[in-house]
Amino acid sequence: MFDKILDSKIWSFLFKGYGLLFLTFLYLPLGLIFVYSFNANAINMAVWTGFTFDWYLTIFGGANSQSSFDAAFTESPARIFDVVKNSAIVALTASTVSTVIGTATAIALARFQFFGKRLYQAFLILPMIVPDIVLGIALLIFFVGAGFKLSLLTVIIGHTTFLSSYVFVVVSARLAGMDTSLEQASADLGAGPITTFRRVTLPQIMPGVVGGFLLAFIISLDDVVITYFIAGVGGQTLPLFILAMMRRGLRPQINALAVLLLLFTFIVAAIGLYLRSRKK
Amino acid sequence: MNFLNITSARKAYRTPEGGFIHALDDVSLNVRNNEFLTLLGPSGCGKTTLLKCIAGFEDIDSGNISLEDQSLKGVPAHRRPFNTVFQNYALFPHLNISDNVGYGLDVARVPKKERADRVEEAMELVGLKGFGKREPNQLSGGQQQRVALARSLVLKPRVLLLDEPLSALDRKMRENMQIELKNLQNSVGITFVFVTHDQEEALAMSDRIAVVANGKVQQLATPTEIYDEPANAFVANFVGTSNIFTGKVVEQNGKNLKIETANERQVLATSDHFNLGDQVQVILRPEHMKLSPDGNEISECCIEGTVEASIFVGSEMHLHVNVGKGRTAIVHHRHNRGDEGERIEVGTDVKLYYSPNAAHLIELVED
Ligand SMILES: Nc1ncnc2c1ncn2[C@@H]1O[C@H](COP(=O)(O)OP(=O)(O)OP(=O)(O)O)[C@@H](O)[C@H]1O
Ligand SMILES: [Mg+2]
Repeated sequence: MFDKILDSKIWSFLFKGYGLLFLTFLYLPLGLIFVYSFNANAINMAVWTGFTFDWYLTIFGGANSQSSFDAAFTESPARIFDVVKNSAIVALTASTVSTVIGTATAIALARFQFFGKRLYQAFLILPMIVPDIVLGIALLIFFVGAGFKLSLLTVIIGHTTFLSSYVFVVVSARLAGMDTSLEQASADLGAGPITTFRRVTLPQIMPGVVGGFLLAFIISLDDVVITYFIAGVGGQTLPLFILAMMRRGLRPQINALAVLLLLFTFIVAAIGLYLRSRKK
Repeated sequence: MNFLNITSARKAYRTPEGGFIHALDDVSLNVRNNEFLTLLGPSGCGKTTLLKCIAGFEDIDSGNISLEDQSLKGVPAHRRPFNTVFQNYALFPHLNISDNVGYGLDVARVPKKERADRVEEAMELVGLKGFGKREPNQLSGGQQQRVALARSLVLKPRVLLLDEPLSALDRKMRENMQIELKNLQNSVGITFVFVTHDQEEALAMSDRIAVVANGKVQQLATPTEIYDEPANAFVANFVGTSNIFTGKVVEQNGKNLKIETANERQVLATSDHFNLGDQVQVILRPEHMKLSPDGNEISECCIEGTVEASIFVGSEMHLHVNVGKGRTAIVHHRHNRGDEGERIEVGTDVKLYYSPNAAHLIELVED
């Protein structure tokens, strides 16, 4: 009888309605940013005064009608390019290094037995759970104590520490699903441990490694809290820069910048999903 | 010179409960060059473990494994001249069939041209010519199994270890592959150590069979010896069907013995190994007992009983005969076309005739 009620048209309608509502709830704010980024109104973005590409053009330095009024509301393209470059350097370096560290650790833990392995594993996952703000302060104290001058380098090192945990978890999951008899078969056919790793293990866990890298990349790219503590002068990343801009008021250029960042993140995620589907 | 020799091998696994499983419990085995040796035993008896220890994926706790009198202790799997066909095939999913078969040659840096030729040859040998470009998951179980075989054979190993390679195949395919494998072994001249839990498969294919149970080799002998002269009750029951009667030798006349069985019957047997008063087990195969005497079976050599069930299986009637004190003997009675009149009803009293030579005696062991 319960089935009948659930089967009825009304329920099906309600379920669909709920689904739609939820999607709206999730995406309305993002949609608004997108729409506002094309709004010509420089003072109050909630009032639509016309369609413009200007905010995007100001980012790339292509706005031809640079009135003095506009200039007060925008950052210079050179400045934006600078922080984007910083973000790219941090994200690329930190995620690459942490992919190597995380993958190596995952393999070591999956293939070797040693005393206290469980505890070690727990400690490796901990940085993912520790509140960002605590991690940020801890890193700051460490860097200062160790005599590091806060810079882009400290950001890279800081990011690498906790991103390694993420890569470790993703690659470990992949390794757990891998058939160990493949490695035995490889050895059986005459391949030494290094050849086996290169030609059997690595191709098998590659989707996990790539997935871990992309995840680390995205997390690094939009991290604010931890970066805030450990970025010195000249170490400002894009999210920190946007945050700083916000302090001086909600400006339309921020919308355009946010949309671009969003777009880029989506593309990275899409590449990840694509690679995953291709290698099943 | 010994070929592949295993002496007193032991291997224990730790269980999660903190105990030990003795997967190999003092296994000694001598594999001869070029023979087809089968490890036959029930699930979990240690067959795969033994193969893994030979292949080098596992180390034995104690004992020794040697090839041509050279100990293999400390020799890693990739340096042993053995190849394995895995129970689950273990084909590399990221390589196509040619690359799977050519993997070992590639690792050994065999030149490209020669590699291609040998891969081609191996694929032809297992009847998979033209499948090179396919992915492993695009093949049937039987085809995957043959790829695994080709991948090993292409390296011309001294010994090929096969772990239940036919268990995933349907009956027809299986019978074909049994013949193919046996022919292949004859033609390539490689020693096969073949694992199965199927006794018919073992009897059909092997030069010798090692029956394994509880981590021990119960008997190592030719198929006919295993069947006709099982070393103990386990082998007698595991290979074929056996009627086993426990009893005591009550009369001895040279090698002719009379045994008084626990179910109050008397059985005649011939043996050199037992004397008056010995506790023994008498093994009689179902096809060696007949309902009427013919030539060899002297008339006093029979067991009386009552038919409890009769099952028609086509070529034979399987009779379950109560031979006293609830003991059931199974008799395979040959069925001839039009034998309708001879149909045996449940409840009929029968005499089971046998030749004293057909009765095999083994020592009674307490367990
Ligand atoms: N890695 C392991 N850890 C713990 N116990 C194991 C391990 N491998 C095997 N065993 C145990 O050792 C015993 C022998 O296992 P093995 O795999 O050799 O059996 P098998 O004869 O090949 O059985 P099957 O016919 O089912 O393949 C079993 O009781 C099994 O549970
Ligand atoms: Mg097994």
